[in-house]
Amino acid sequence: MAEIIAALDEQGANTMLDTVIGAIPAQSKSGSGNLGPFVASYSVVATLTSGDVDLIPPDIIRLVDLRVNWDLDLSFGFDLSSILPDFCLPRVCIPIPCVGDVCTPRICIDWPTISIPVSFGDFVKATGDFRLDISLVGGIWKVQGVIVGIPNLQFGATTALLLAAIGAAVTPILLVIPFIGPFLAIAVNAILLAIGIAGVTGFLGPILTPFISGMKIPIYKQPKLFPILPAESPVDPQVDMTIDLIAAAVAHNGAEDELVLTADVSP
Amino acid sequence: MTRIGGFAMINTLDSRALQRTDCYGQRFMKAGDYKYNIVLAHGALISTDRPFVVSVMDTDTKSGMKQHDVQIKSGAGKFQVPNQKLIINVGDMVMWNCSDRDAPPYAVVGDHEFFNRNRLVNESGFSHAFGTAGDFHWVDAHGSGAAGIVRVSDPRCKSEEDIKRWQQRLAKGTLVTISTENVEPAEVEIVTGQTVFFIVTKCKGISITDAQLLNRSTDETGIGKAGSASRQKQPKSDKPREKPKSK
Repeated sequence: MAEIIAALDEQGANTMLDTVIGAIPAQSKSGSGNLGPFVASYSVVATLTSGDVDLIPPDIIRLVDLRVNWDLDLSFGFDLSSILPDFCLPRVCIPIPCVGDVCTPRICIDWPTISIPVSFGDFVKATGDFRLDISLVGGIWKVQGVIVGIPNLQFGATTALLLAAIGAAVTPILLVIPFIGPFLAIAVNAILLAIGIAGVTGFLGPILTPFISGMKIPIYKQPKLFPILPAESPVDPQVDMTIDLIAAAVAHNGAEDELVLTADVSP
Repeated sequence: MTRIGGFAMINTLDSRALQRTDCYGQRFMKAGDYKYNIVLAHGALISTDRPFVVSVMDTDTKSGMKQHDVQIKSGAGKFQVPNQKLIINVGDMVMWNCSDRDAPPYAVVGDHEFFNRNRLVNESGFSHAFGTAGDFHWVDAHGSGAAGIVRVSDPRCKSEEDIKRWQQRLAKGTLVTISTENVEPAEVEIVTGQTVFFIVTKCKGISITDAQLLNRSTDETGIGKAGSASRQKQPKSDKPREKPKSK
């Protein structure tokens, strides 16, 4: 029988995981991804907020509505001519008194390449199952929850909001392009339609999923050998304790489920 | 000025530095060979090469003025024309334009007065298509005092019909005639994309230059009070207004 037993009910596990997940520092990454037909470079910073804990025997901690708060800077460039037909000024003739007509040639304008920077922040929720994992590495016992599988991110209104942010970022850039004024609405719509909801989801998913898919929640960490009484004198030396074995499980105990840690110790 | 895509979208108003939606025209009233070059803007004093020539022939027949369009091609900082020698008759007009996407601002320069130092003189003209809305106060960069204003309003196209109507309006040009220091009319109103012809009938040599490029206050133009920065405006008629005052 284990010498030490510690148990947490779901309420206690909620409190503990709030603290533990809240202590995970902000994570960042950068790279490039496909935003619809465009290639966008990005940098993203994400922090995690714990959701509601559901303990599921024998070894699963389910976090419902685990939240990823993210701030994204993205930039994508493209040739406007790829979404707008080139535009031609017609031949313009004007009669000059005593001289005759003077005409300009037809002048065609191919649109420039533009770069659109967008900053946007939001959160996304996911439900993740974490399996209890116990290890002894380098003389340290560790108990952690390791996520099982790849959770499905629930983007909800985020995609529409990011599309709106892209539209808002595109407009002032297009406004300064000569001759585009009358086509402004067409150009903005063409860009947003080219990206679409699917494009935004396809862009955000691969960026944000790794913040959760590789996630490990530290639950308990203790050296295998640790002092329980300090040395008092040369004839009263330090007293150490050895943790021979640690086990962790989710157990059903009466009306509720508990997270239970047990340890076998020896002097 | 939009510095997107290199030189592709520069649309400043300056007859000394021609751009893709500008045309420079010169009417030749005397027979002879007129050698010229096309150089980077403001490079007239540096370049002495004159590889191209307009050969003006005397003719007995009295026909009307004929216009000859010269489409300039640019590449690697140099400019080429289709025919090194262009033969025309006395009284004809030559119109130069370079609509290449990456063409830098340029000038047509020669050894005769009208090809010299980027000045518009007798029987010459300059056209500019205005790509953005706003009030464009122009002045003569050479200090003659000639000045004017082009008020460009956004056509506010909301439907296909609006765009069609706007495109039809683009074919209609607006004429500004400059004689000595008289500008007629000194103020014109157009919509985005329309072209203004500045025709010089008699002048020692002026430029049509956005006052902002010269860091001139709009008061110096003597017309209006708005700046030349782009400002969206309600669509207005493209009829020229009466000249506010003579210079």
